[in-house]
Order: sequence, then C-alpha cells, then structure tokens
Amino acid sequence: MLIFKEIQLLPEIFLGISIIYLIIHGTFISVNNKYLLIQNSILYLSILIIAMFCFLLLNNSIEYNNFQIFNNTIILDYLSFSSKAWIALISIFCFLMVQRYLAVQKINYFEYSVLILFALLGIFFICSSNDLITAYLSIELQSLSFYIMAAMKKDSAFSADAGLKYFILGAFSSSLFLFGSSILYGVSGTTNFEDLKNLFFLTYLEYESIYGVDNYSFVKHVFIDGGLIQFALVFIFVSLLFKLAVAPFHLWSLDIYEGSPSSSTFFFAVVPKLAIFILIIRIFYSSFFEYSIKWRYYIVVVAMLTVIVGSFGGLEQKKLKSLLAYSSISHMGYTLIAFSTGTFEGMQSMLCYLFLYMIAGLCIWSIFLLLQLKYKYSKKQNKDLTDLNLLSKSNNILALFFSTVLLSIAGLPPMVGFLVKIGIFLVSIEASMYFVAILSILCSVISTFYYIRIVKIMYFENSVAGKLYYPIQSNISILVVCLFYFLLFLFVNPTLIYLFSYKITLLLTMTVV
Amino acid sequence: MIVNLFFYFFSFILIVSALMTILSQNSIYSVLFLVLSFVSSSSILFLLECEYISLIFIIIYVGAIAVLFLFVVMMLDVKTVYLAKDSLKYFPFGSFIGIVFLIEIALIIPTTFESANPYNVSFLWNCYFDWFNKLDYFTEVMSIGHLLYTDYIIQFLLSGNILLLATVGPVTLVLIRSTKPTKTQVTFKQLSRTYSSVLHI
Repeated sequence: MLIFKEIQLLPEIFLGISIIYLIIHGTFISVNNKYLLIQNSILYLSILIIAMFCFLLLNNSIEYNNFQIFNNTIILDYLSFSSKAWIALISIFCFLMVQRYLAVQKINYFEYSVLILFALLGIFFICSSNDLITAYLSIELQSLSFYIMAAMKKDSAFSADAGLKYFILGAFSSSLFLFGSSILYGVSGTTNFEDLKNLFFLTYLEYESIYGVDNYSFVKHVFIDGGLIQFALVFIFVSLLFKLAVAPFHLWSLDIYEGSPSSSTFFFAVVPKLAIFILIIRIFYSSFFEYSIKWRYYIVVVAMLTVIVGSFGGLEQKKLKSLLAYSSISHMGYTLIAFSTGTFEGMQSMLCYLFLYMIAGLCIWSIFLLLQLKYKYSKKQNKDLTDLNLLSKSNNILALFFSTVLLSIAGLPPMVGFLVKIGIFLVSIEASMYFVAILSILCSVISTFYYIRIVKIMYFENSVAGKLYYPIQSNISILVVCLFYFLLFLFVNPTLIYLFSYKITLLLTMTVV
Repeated sequence: MIVNLFFYFFSFILIVSALMTILSQNSIYSVLFLVLSFVSSSSILFLLECEYISLIFIIIYVGAIAVLFLFVVMMLDVKTVYLAKDSLKYFPFGSFIGIVFLIEIALIIPTTFESANPYNVSFLWNCYFDWFNKLDYFTEVMSIGHLLYTDYIIQFLLSGNILLLATVGPVTLVLIRSTKPTKTQVTFKQLSRTYSSVLHI
C-alpha cells in the first residue's frame, strides 16, 4: 500500500513496470520463426520511457525536501533528484547515438535496450538509496546488466571474454561491499545511512588522546570500536573504487572497454560514474563525516595514484578506446582529489567536474561511434589511432569538433574543461594540499600530450591518403553540434553549472548539519 | 522429552546418512543419502525453533544444489530409462498430492477471507488481543514475511528485478536466432538439374 508520501517514487516504479511490459512485448513479437527486427522500435520506445521518467521526475512537487520513504531506505533530496534528471538526459542522448552503431554491427536483439533500461533503473536506485541493502541491490542490478551488455556481441570472442572478466571482477567487488557492510551492521546494528550518521556524528576515534580516560571513563562503554568501523569502511570504499575503475583497481577497465562492443563501452564510461560518486558522498560525506580525518588520507593516496597512472598509461596506447579508458581513469582521479578535500567547495567542484565529465564523454564517445569506417567486408570496431589519419581532409567539421572536445578534456582555456579543472586545483590548494595540487597539475600537463597527439594525427600527418568514413545522419549530427555548442557556451556562461552544483551542495550540507 | 528423542533420532539418521554418502558404491545412492542428511539436519534445526533457516536449508541445498548434483551424476551414468511409458503408474500418486493441496487451500481460504466488520480497521474498534499468542506464536517466517512485504518492499521488488534480469540475460546470450538456413549443396538436386528443366523462355 503506497502512502501518499511514498508516491514520490513513482518515476522508478513506472520505469520498472514499463521494462516488464517491454520484455513481454518484445518476446511476443520475436518468438516467431520469421521474427521481425524490432531493435529500432524498442530503442525508440525506451527513449520514450526515459523521457516519461524525466517528466514524472520533474513533476515531483517536492523536489528538494529531504524525504525519506519506505522505512527510511529511500532518500529523495535535491542531490538524488538532480542527478537522476541529469543521468536520464544523458542516457537519452546515448540511446540516440548508439542506434546506428547497433544496426551496422548487427546487434539485432531487442533485449539490448531492455538491458540498458535495467541498468538505468539500478543507477536511479543507487542515486536515491539511503540504506546499505538498497545500495547493494541496486549496484547488483546495474552491474548485472552491464556484464550482459559487455558480452552482447555474440560472434566476437573478445566480447565474451570481456563479459566474463567483468562478471568475475564485479562479483569480487560486490562481495567486498557485502563483507564491509556486514561488519558495519555487526558493529552498529543498523544499515541505514541516516541512523549511521546519528550514531557516529559525535564519535571521536582516538578518544583517549582527546579526553583523559579517567575523567570520561563512560566513553569506553558507550562508544563503539572505531578501528572495526574503519576496517569495514575500507572494504566498502575499495569495492566502490572497483566500480569506478580507480588506479590500484583499474586493470579490469582497459580489457573490458577494449573487448566489449563500443556502444556498451559508451555506457560503462559515461553513465554510471555519477551514481557511484553519489553513493560515496552518501556513505563517506554524509554518514561518516566524523571519520573524514581518517578516510581523507587513503582517498588522497588513491587519487594521486589514479592521476599518475591515468596520465602515464595513456602515452603508450595505440588503440583509441583504451586511450579513452585511461583518460576516464585520470578524470576519476581528479574527481577524487576534489572529494578528498571534504570541504564545501570541494563537493561543489567535484559535482561540476562530474557533470562536465559526462558531457565531454558523451561528445567524445558519440563521435567515436559515429565514425564508421568504409570497409566493405570487415566490421572493424576497435579503431587504431592511425584510422583517424587526416580526418580533417575527409570530414573537416567532425575533426574540428573532435579536437575541440579533446582539448576541452585536456583543460585548455576556450572550453569549459579548463574552468572545472582549475576549480579542482584551486580547491585542493585552499585545503592546503599543495603537494597534491602540484603533482596533479604536472600530470595534467603530461596527459595533454596524448590528447594533442590525436589532434596532430587528424590534422598534421605527412601522408597522402587517410581512411574514408560513412556520412553521418543529419538528425544525429544536429545532436553532436548541440553538445559541441554546450561545451563552448558553458565557458562563456559557467554560472549555469556552478549555480546548479552550488545548490546541490548547499542542500546536501544543510541536511548533513 | 519427546523433543530430545526426536533430536537423537534425527542426529542418528544424520550420522548414518553422512557415512553412507561416502561409503555407498553407487553415486546416485550417495547423492540421495546426501539429500537425506540435509533433510535430517534441517529437521534438527526445526527442533531448535529456527524454522526459517531449516526451510532455507531444504529449499537451497535439497531443492537446488543436490538436484544439480543428481543431474550431473545421472548425466555421467548413461542409462536410458523410458519415463514416458510408466507415466500412468505415477498418476494415482500425483493426483493424491494434488488433492492434498486442494484440501489445504480449502482449509485456508474460509479462515483468511472472513467478512470483517468495516469498523474493524479503525482504531476505535475495541478488540481483544491475546498478547501471549501475539508474542509467542509469531514464528520466524511470519516475522520475516511481515518485514519483507511492508518495510522492505522496495528491496523485495529490486531483488525480483534482479532475478528477472538474471533469467533474461543468459537466455539472450545463448539464444541463436538464425532465420536463414545455411547454404549447403544438396547433391541430388544438383545432379538432377538438366539443361531443359532450368531454362524457361
């Protein structure tokens, strides 16, 4: 029985029900011996479903009240609301970009879009989970559909390999999460983030050093063992870093990004990162803020390692996909630097960076998917860097867009990537993490090399002929132009995204304190 | 007293069946003894008033894992048994089980759907609670069910979605939908083609 307050979860319920209807619809049509190809129609239907989801979400009248429903396991605040809306918008773009690629690669299964919808349902639940059980279940829903999406290209051995690898490593990281949360439950007796916050908000880890033990001997009986909680938090943190593909745990991402079909890689790289970061914010920033003295250090170490690996690893890559994988790894590193400051501005610049990361990733991957090589027989999908040879001659505008987006990611001034990146450096300097700031700036300079190398290959290569590409559909090209315009426009008017992230952070910290 | 006797009875069966699992020569028998040991250990748990765990024991170990073992063992021993012939033999047993379930449903429905007083739901209704029954006869399964279907309904639905995905996904990966048959040469057709039968003017 839904109480009036709990109808606020209507968008997710609508999404879940419509997924089931979509499965029934697709199954009834495609069981015949002479089945119809309903790939496209199901794709458009799922775009419609996501658009309806957006509509229902935006019509929620209480958008930034802090509502906790379903026995406090689901939280509906401005953070979850805005991130859900943003992810839904981005995923509509993803659906539109993917369509042509699926037709060319002959991935003619209607289940593909259904799997994406399942993943999105999981991601939306991660955004609004307020409970370790809900978080675990939604992560599982999201990652299970990702495993299947990775193995979806059935005639390719690489794809099956990627799916199996993703499955094994994902199961490993999920088991780490379960282990950590079971210890947390054993120590505190609750799995709810709100309850955990209330329990640990005024706990001091080293109470013996802060207070004299003799004066406050009750402290030992009342307060909970801090070391065990840290032990559990490390496990939860490591499993979430696995999902983010951050440096000591990044090795799976390269193989899987390379092996799985590019449309799935597009989703893995762009969509789920924001949701996982929101879960990290909810656990570490909201619930265990008092422990920030402790977790700061290992987040800083991990972030520095990630930035270094991301910028040095990309130098050697010859495949465009694994280069982009390294670039996404280094971006996660910058985001973690902003998170590790633990300040208000740090949160704000982190959210800014994530939103921009999603837009820039959308741009890059959509251009990558739209470049269909004119081979007669081989449906080559893993593009070498040399395939982009003299793209400026064959498709000048697309080369211009591609190089602009790459320079924006590298952080050069006339694009918005510069502003968010400098925001992160400034925040880390303000939190007096000077060494971190200097090292990350140097690594950013190094990583600029491989972005510029792509631009060089596209424009200034000393060869006579480059590869030829199929022309892009006009309606898709309008979308690409819109995304490109967005990158330039946000540099002129960055207040839009700053105010958005400021509001999110303000409402988040208001609920924390 | 009787509980103690039951405990000794089941533990004796458990030990014997566990021994027989190792000792028996036929692998099918050993799997069946394994099932027996699971059942007896779950009934020991039942005696200790851990109903939920014992039920889960039966459902998961006997229902899934032991059956899986049995399948593997039966696949190893190649023996063809024609089950279709003696389906008539199982008819009385099957119908007996069906009748049992029917009687259970007939017993449950009239007690569950009693026509209630409409004021019964409101808090003004003065009703008599036997608190002893309420507290003591609340079994584990009931309490877990109460929690699962009220407070944790979203988690329940989410896990249902995961199960749906886990059935849809592997089917999608394994299913091969080939509409076009493979183009192999039929030798007889090829040889029977003559010059006159091919050309039509």
